[in-house]
Amino acid sequence: MPIKLPWLKGVFPALVTPFVKKTEAFDEESYRRLIRACLPHVDGLVTSGTTGEFPYLTREEQRRLAEIGVEEAGGKPVIAGCGASSTQEALTLTRDAKEAGASAALIVTPYFLHPSDKGVYQHFYDIATGVDLPIILYNIPQVMDRYLPRTVVEDLADLPNVVGLKDSSGDLTYTMELLEYVGDRIDLFVGHDEVVLPALAGGVSGMILASAQVYPEVWQEVLRLAGEGRLAEARARQRDVQKLSRIFCRYGGGVAVKAALKMMGLDVGPPRKPLKSVGGALIHETRAEIRLELEKLGKITVEEPAFTYPDGPLAARFGDLEITPEMVAAQSMHVGSGTAGEGLNKVQIDIIAGGKQTALGDAYALQLTYPLHGREALTTILEPALTVSPATLLLPVLPQKNLRQANMIYGPTQSALARAIVDALEAGRIPSTAVDDDVMIALATVHPRALDRHALYQSVHAAATQALAQAFQ
Amino acid sequence: MGYKTDWFKGIFPALVTPFTADDQLDEAAYRELIRFVLPHVNGMVPCGTTGEFSYMTLEERQQAIEVCLDEVGGRVPVLAGTGCKSTRETVALTEWARDAGVTGALVVAPYFLKPTFNEIYDHFQAVDQVGLPLVLYNIPQCAGTHFRWWTAEGMLLDFDHTIGIKDSSGDLPFMEAMFEKVKGQVAIFVGHDEVVQAALAAGADGAILASANLIPDVWQRVYQATLKGDLETAQYWQQRVQKLVRIVVRCGSTQAVKEGLRMIGLPIGDSRHPVMPGGAFRREDRDELRLQLELTGVDKIKQVPVTMDLGSRQVETSIFATPQTPRTITGFTLKVGEGFAGPPFQELAHVDLLLGLKDGPVGRAIERSLAGWGEERGLQIINERPRTLLVPTVTVRTAKQRRLFYEHAAEGVNLAIKLSVEDGFLPEGILDDVVFIVNAFVHPAASIAKRVAFNNYKATRYAIRKALEGRPTVEELIREKAAARHPFRYAP
Repeated sequence: MPIKLPWLKGVFPALVTPFVKKTEAFDEESYRRLIRACLPHVDGLVTSGTTGEFPYLTREEQRRLAEIGVEEAGGKPVIAGCGASSTQEALTLTRDAKEAGASAALIVTPYFLHPSDKGVYQHFYDIATGVDLPIILYNIPQVMDRYLPRTVVEDLADLPNVVGLKDSSGDLTYTMELLEYVGDRIDLFVGHDEVVLPALAGGVSGMILASAQVYPEVWQEVLRLAGEGRLAEARARQRDVQKLSRIFCRYGGGVAVKAALKMMGLDVGPPRKPLKSVGGALIHETRAEIRLELEKLGKITVEEPAFTYPDGPLAARFGDLEITPEMVAAQSMHVGSGTAGEGLNKVQIDIIAGGKQTALGDAYALQLTYPLHGREALTTILEPALTVSPATLLLPVLPQKNLRQANMIYGPTQSALARAIVDALEAGRIPSTAVDDDVMIALATVHPRALDRHALYQSVHAAATQALAQAFQ
Repeated sequence: MGYKTDWFKGIFPALVTPFTADDQLDEAAYRELIRFVLPHVNGMVPCGTTGEFSYMTLEERQQAIEVCLDEVGGRVPVLAGTGCKSTRETVALTEWARDAGVTGALVVAPYFLKPTFNEIYDHFQAVDQVGLPLVLYNIPQCAGTHFRWWTAEGMLLDFDHTIGIKDSSGDLPFMEAMFEKVKGQVAIFVGHDEVVQAALAAGADGAILASANLIPDVWQRVYQATLKGDLETAQYWQQRVQKLVRIVVRCGSTQAVKEGLRMIGLPIGDSRHPVMPGGAFRREDRDELRLQLELTGVDKIKQVPVTMDLGSRQVETSIFATPQTPRTITGFTLKVGEGFAGPPFQELAHVDLLLGLKDGPVGRAIERSLAGWGEERGLQIINERPRTLLVPTVTVRTAKQRRLFYEHAAEGVNLAIKLSVEDGFLPEGILDDVVFIVNAFVHPAASIAKRVAFNNYKATRYAIRKALEGRPTVEELIREKAAARHPFRYAP
């Protein structure tokens, strides 16, 4: 019967492997810096795991990662990722890990070709009996395309060397089933950042997480609070990092972790190809979202932007469109303004409507040639291919400095403005003659640090509704 | 032991069920649809999946089947969809259909709760004992159950009144297993529009198809050519309609077929909720389906004369019109069109298009921007007739983005203009009077040049038509506003 290892519990980061830009060579310095940054908050390290891009590493690199890990860990345990498609290769890597001084090997379900349950058992059996090193089984169906079958784990747990299992599936029904069958014999680790607290509550011993190199101290708190039975506080901490954890798990993996570390001042370089730093699994929009979340966590500092909401006579606020108060009066344009929301969600919408034949028609066409740098105007739509009538341009008042700000304009602001316009059409507040004959331009002032899309949508809808009511009263 | 009939072969449309504005069975429209397809088909299928049987009451299904029987008047066999979730209901409806005089019953695998295969076998055995010729129906996309070949083989060979199977899975290895096990003893029909020719060539006896509402004549050509061994002709027609049927199969079949029929001119209403316009059948799919129905050889949408009133003069043209197309187009001072095309996400195209008179706001904006910030902001004239200014919506930053935008996106925009000139939406007579501003963008993560070009072509072509026809209408906006879902409105 296996003996439970006393050290096998707590918070372990699945370290990324830093690479040098262009050459993709292993960047040892950054790796050491990364370990030093997270070591005070963790109970051990995991090298060359999935987050560490192990399938793209050579045997020598994997061994080196473990060696450096042991050097830097100051006596804390190092678990070396030793997974491979073939049993022979996994055996070799596990022997290397032992020589490098690792405390255990983390071994993933054999992948690519799909061996039978018998083949999977034999794979782990050969390693556990072939090398004198504790073995942690590793279930990650998201990349391996299959689960490590529970019945196989049930048998493997009888091998003296098999000491644990990391479950990255996020599937709590699987975790609970394993706890039921093998929880008394081996330690279970949660490997899915989104369900750490429920897994801890269910009975796992610890966690091996990509995000444990970004916010390990949060996980230590969750672990401690859960252990003390202070569930309400533990839930609050889990929730603080829920979105970032979701991004790491589902929208970019190690690539997203590397992006986050870079934003925090720990440049660990790009992933190896074919993965892209951005634009692949991690899209630009999500990267912008990571920055928002790190700001909220206090991991990066926020600049307090200086800006004001437009004030003064309403008809004089359209100077950027080359529309003067005299033109508004002389060419029978309609103007209206509305404000809604508090703090970061405060929004002001100033709307001008007028005939296509007036100066507003010229202003409308001109804005689509992008005369105001950083303030691209766009056609107002409920959703793509559902353009509102009268044709309306949305023009941000403040220059868009980054994609995060642009996201707030093009998503919630645009769709809320569109909805307010169609609501006004339906209610008959916008005259039917305006549908074909008029155009509108809406100037939107949105706080540069706005980040709650739902609240922003509500504010814009309320502000635009007021503005339309005033314009067409 | 199942058997083979002499009537179950050829092309059978899975008829849509038209509903009136107040959501009743629209008998007149149903009869008109049946008359539209009848000359080209070998049988009719009322109340199949495409007929929205799962959204109809038993009484409505009976009513539809009766109308179908009456309108067909015995000229072709009627294979009625009588499948329900439970055995009890299915047997009752099949008994009713037998007494009503249908030729056979098409019965879907019991769905929602997922019975095991022995439960499914017993279900069909009970239906078989009704005594009506029975066709088993495999449609895992909806029913959630994909017959095992041994289940299908057992049912087809063990039962007394089972005459065949309709396989809508598109899983050709499954169909080949059926040929291996039961070919010649019962009929094997294909129900997946994307693989009709392949299945017929491999030995299928016929096809029951959603798209046979729209293009029964094309399918009859494929069927006849295959019977004669003329594979080249059969392949030609399959490939000619491949995009059309892919839209139908994958993008909300019932609504797609209904809107397609409406474009052709049949008075068919929308699908019942929760299927809705702009849902699985997206607006860009509608625009593309329309183009496909115009194709030479498909010829479902015809050109009609339309007048374009430029204010100073009028230009006559001829365009592929739907019943929604205005016969006189005015308001050329400034027209707005928006087009969207994707997937994939990285290469999707979104075009804000302005069309207007050269001496109006659009023309003035073009000349002023070129004289001012044009070069600095990367504006380019990419066409002279009509004069077209291409504007990057997002600042072009990298060499890759520059190439994708100015070469490939621009190529797509120009192709859309060229084809719109050819199809009459941009008649020769307006090319010197009307100018365009095309705001387009290439996502910084875009890679596939061909898709950048093609998606920008599609988005621009749709945008030109929408600008000229004044779509979406206020009615559409009001009807669809509540359910609209802007993709950037939500956090990851």
